Amino acid sequence: MNPPPSPGTVFIVDDDVSFLRSASRLLRAAGYPVQAFESAKGFLELLSPEMSGCVVTDLQMPGMNGLTLQEALRKTANPLPVIFLSGQGDIPTAVRAMRHGAEDFLTKLSPKEKLLDAVGRALTRDAQERKQRERLRDLRERFAALTRRELEVLGHVVRGRLNKQIAADLGISMRTVKLHRTSLTRKLKVQSVAELTRLVEEVGLFRADKAE
Amino acid sequence: MRDCPAQTAPDGESSETKRVLMIFREGKDLPGNVMLEQAVRAEMQKLSTNQIEFFVENLDARHFSDEGHYLLFQDYLGRKYAEKNPDLLMVFPSRDFTLAEELPAAVFPGLPVVFVMANEMEVPHDLGKHGITGIIQRFDLRGTLGLILRLQPETRRVVVIGGTSEMDRTTLERIEEVARSMDGVEFDFWTNRPMAELQSAVGSLPEGTVILLSTVQRDVTGQPFFMSQLAQMLTPSANVPMYVLSRAALGSGALGGVVVDPDDLGARAGQLALRLLEGAPAGGLPVEVTTKGTPMVDWRALRRWYISESRVPADCVVRYRPRSLWAEHSSLILFSLAVFLAQAVTIVALLAQRAHRRRAEAEILTQRTELAHVARVSTMGQLSSALAHELNQPLGAILRNAEAAELLLEREQPDLEEIRAILVDIRQDDQRAGSVIDRMRSLLKRHSLESNPLDLGDLLEETVTLARSDALARRVNLMLQVPAELPVVHGDRVHLQQVLLNLILNGMDAMSDCGAAERLLTVRARPTKDGSMEVAVSDCGTGIPPDKMKLLFEPFFTTKPDGMGMGLAISRTIIEAHNGKIQAENNAGRGATFKFTLPAKSK
Repeated sequence: MNPPPSPGTVFIVDDDVSFLRSASRLLRAAGYPVQAFESAKGFLELLSPEMSGCVVTDLQMPGMNGLTLQEALRKTANPLPVIFLSGQGDIPTAVRAMRHGAEDFLTKLSPKEKLLDAVGRALTRDAQERKQRERLRDLRERFAALTRRELEVLGHVVRGRLNKQIAADLGISMRTVKLHRTSLTRKLKVQSVAELTRLVEEVGLFRADKAE
Repeated sequence: MRDCPAQTAPDGESSETKRVLMIFREGKDLPGNVMLEQAVRAEMQKLSTNQIEFFVENLDARHFSDEGHYLLFQDYLGRKYAEKNPDLLMVFPSRDFTLAEELPAAVFPGLPVVFVMANEMEVPHDLGKHGITGIIQRFDLRGTLGLILRLQPETRRVVVIGGTSEMDRTTLERIEEVARSMDGVEFDFWTNRPMAELQSAVGSLPEGTVILLSTVQRDVTGQPFFMSQLAQMLTPSANVPMYVLSRAALGSGALGGVVVDPDDLGARAGQLALRLLEGAPAGGLPVEVTTKGTPMVDWRALRRWYISESRVPADCVVRYRPRSLWAEHSSLILFSLAVFLAQAVTIVALLAQRAHRRRAEAEILTQRTELAHVARVSTMGQLSSALAHELNQPLGAILRNAEAAELLLEREQPDLEEIRAILVDIRQDDQRAGSVIDRMRSLLKRHSLESNPLDLGDLLEETVTLARSDALARRVNLMLQVPAELPVVHGDRVHLQQVLLNLILNGMDAMSDCGAAERLLTVRARPTKDGSMEVAVSDCGTGIPPDKMKLLFEPFFTTKPDGMGMGLAISRTIIEAHNGKIQAENNAGRGATFKFTLPAKSK
């Protein structure tokens, strides 16, 4: 009845084998593909960027606990959304988890609706973030295709400089500026300066320059 | 009752000496006369304010009845008392009034005379004129016959043994008079039998008969007797009880009677004599005649004739009862009793003290148990979040499984295999949750120290498991190092678990400021050389300041801001109750180690 909203997999991590099995059953019965792990380490070792979905993890585990897993996951190329399922959660822990971007912080006795909602949201979010990351990667690839000179010209364009001014600044001819502009709009697949500006913003290209 | 002397000399008034001359007619050594004389003396000395000098003379008319003897006696008295004139003459007990009338006239002119007699003689009317007064006690015949019927209601016949003198005959006449008024009892008067015959005759009297001994001053052969003598001669051979009329006759075998009591008679005579000494004119004092005797029985005779003491009237004096141990040794008995009582009191006091101490000890034990319980509850409080986690694991699993089963059942073709597997898991998790609760409950339960064989390895494992989730939450690495085979120890599981938990939680507290990598808590068990088991809990914390080492196990000593300071004190109490020892020491490297020992085979 609950058709999978997205093809993401639910990765469950819990040292309690019994709970692991029961939670896997529930999510599987709810129509999600499920992969179960008895330790955070085991999960991280198997994690690869193309694995879409979300992580449902216990908080207290021997070795690497839930919070550590969340931190480690954020540093990977596949920062899947995390839902905490704790046996007994305290508020500071929950706050910390949420501040680090947890999708939800539930107890093991939370009703399945909450869990399934959270999983649904997490998967949607993963799909969006994944799409976002896809687009960013695509944009970055596009930007990466630009030559140094084209990047320079782009920098001036997004700051609203006219071709004439750019030519003067760079000590090149107006025509050459126009050629660069044509080339970079083609490479970046944009139609207008406004669109160009939005892409640059999106990629955060010159923000990074400023920061450096 | 007894008249007091008419005048009592006030203190300080010079007292003069009065002389009383007592003359016994029959023989002053006869038992009744001895008693009488003593009673008179005692009464007079008790009541008189004057010194009284007593002189006693004995006519002994029983043996010397001739006129010549009597004249010699008169002469003797006159010469003897020429210098010491008596103030009063007392004549004892007279068979007639001759002595009383003649002696003063012949020897002591004008001397007042008191006579004392116990018989049935007629009293002349003119005695007062001669300065004579006295007391006559009649025999209480009706009283005595009443006592006979009271003691022996079956009596049908009374054998009266009497004498032949004038006085004897008077007595017998009086008895006959009384006998006539009594129905149903036959009277037999034996007056003409010589002693030997009497002795045999009294041995074969029919049942329902009693003997009443009348006065026998002289028997049929003219031989003089006195009553106690007769009683003594006749009672041994008699086959029925003998009753008598005078107390003097009692005590030598007779059963009893309402008798003339010489004590009583003598006392009254003494009072009368005193009144005369103090100036009352003898002629003005009438002769006292009394009939009332004293009921009296011989206890030994009661026993001899199987007469129950319950038949003895309440006012009857029972004589010759063997003196009880009490009467004989009352002071010794009292002393022994006092010693015994003192001892008993001491013993009771000691027992009470001991009971008190026991109770106090039991109370202390109860309080310790209570305190141990409170401490355990607070330990459980520290563990509660960990335990909630323990409990939420199986409960969560049950919930997820149940939810999964619901979802599976909503499908058109439910996977029954899967649902069955779910149910198996649910049951297992339910048991798991139950065992967590059991563990908690056994720790929370109020309970006194028990000694049971314990597998120390199991105990350590279970306790470490209990603490493990807490250790996880505190990021403490909890290690258990136990040899495969441990000897069985005797002890109380719950209390020992409390000690262990306490040490483990303390150890974890000690490491709260350490880096995560350093938080290692090790629980070890090993047998020691002397055959006991040693359990050690080592932390890598800050260790114990040397100056605090001695105080560690003292109650209310704590280094924790919110600590109660009871944990280690209670732990020590528990371990010492197991005959073990608990101690603490700092490790060579970091932290401290708490060790306790348990005798491997206590008892």
